Amino acid sequence: MYKQVYLYILLFSLAALSQGTVLAANLKPVTDEVAAPSLTLKDLQGEIHDLKDYRGQVVLVQFWATYCGPCRKEMPSMNKMMTKMGDTPFKILAVDMGESEAEVKPFVSEVKPEFTILMDEEGKSIEDWRVFAAPSNFIIGPDGNIKYTLFGGVEWDSDELIEKLKALAE
Amino acid sequence: MMNLRTVSLYFLLLLFASNVQAKAIKNIETDDADIEVRVFPAEGNVLLLGFPCDEGKSIAEEKTAQSLSEDGVEVWMPDMLGGFMLPKVRSSLASIPTETITAIIAEALKTGKKVYLIASGPDTELILRAASEWEAKGHEPVAGAILMFPRLFKDEPVPGEVPEYVDAVGKTRLPIMLLEGGRTPNRWGLNTLSHELQKSGSDVTSKVIPKVRGYFFKRQDANRSEDVVTSQMAGLIKVSLFYLGESEI
Repeated sequence: MYKQVYLYILLFSLAALSQGTVLAANLKPVTDEVAAPSLTLKDLQGEIHDLKDYRGQVVLVQFWATYCGPCRKEMPSMNKMMTKMGDTPFKILAVDMGESEAEVKPFVSEVKPEFTILMDEEGKSIEDWRVFAAPSNFIIGPDGNIKYTLFGGVEWDSDELIEKLKALAE
Repeated sequence: MMNLRTVSLYFLLLLFASNVQAKAIKNIETDDADIEVRVFPAEGNVLLLGFPCDEGKSIAEEKTAQSLSEDGVEVWMPDMLGGFMLPKVRSSLASIPTETITAIIAEALKTGKKVYLIASGPDTELILRAASEWEAKGHEPVAGAILMFPRLFKDEPVPGEVPEYVDAVGKTRLPIMLLEGGRTPNRWGLNTLSHELQKSGSDVTSKVIPKVRGYFFKRQDANRSEDVVTSQMAGLIKVSLFYLGESEI
């Protein structure tokens, strides 16, 4: 019996370890100095946000859509991420990919994101940022350069990711 | 005991089922495998050769094929996975020899009709690969191809980088019609894919179908827009043939 319990503990530990490894591998560092493309879009309240106004902060620019399963799944973890980032100068700009407000608002009222949702019905920024799949993520450093990219859904509030983002802000 | 409503429902279901039966099964013997082809015959001069790669389980495609054949477009649906006893996974595509596909194209052209190719998702790689091989051997040309929701990335796309496509992209001169759903991130890659396909001389047209996701006709959770478009898929294909220059439909 004890042997079986130890085996389960070992398996769970290995699973947790492998998940951490996958996260680290997925966050792709951008080693060259690559400036983030411009991004100026309205949020759901009609307020204009310009990425360059967030210079000095770490910014997660995410391209997402309500029809994207992984995007929907990971959004609650982005709320938790905001809490865990605490006083770190950090901002999330989540750009919806070509949907209308009528399509986005029901999901937003369900998830209640504690970050900014930007609307891009024409898809201009999607082309500028060379986004071909969702969710596509860009982590912008305080200097305005792209530091990491990441494709696919993740648990954004994982300690590993939070540590990496906090380190960028220092 | 069944009431009248239940009996009527069964009757309707039977009627519906009988409507989607393939009119004939044709076996094509190739060097590598015997391929079973569902044939929906028609009197017209156009033959649509589809590669569903689904071990014969394509319900929506069969209904569409039936509808097209009633409108004069003959449809052939070879079961490539069944022919090679392959599982329905993306990696199976690499195990389907190009020569087997070209052998089926040759058989279709023997009818004397104008042959168009059609496939969806990752299966679109098959027809691009076959078309390229077919042209390289200098055979009588195929008239064109319809790629529905093509999924032709070689690897997962990296945000900020132009994606790399499978080797078959940009190797054929076949006129191509691309159809993509409006509610899929892939619609934003249509221009890039069109550009890659044009590099080998293909004339490429692309259309976005609003309010549907990719693979909408295979979805269990289809919404009303997707149900409507699925029911009109034969019309969508005829419009695509028209864009490919087909006037005899």
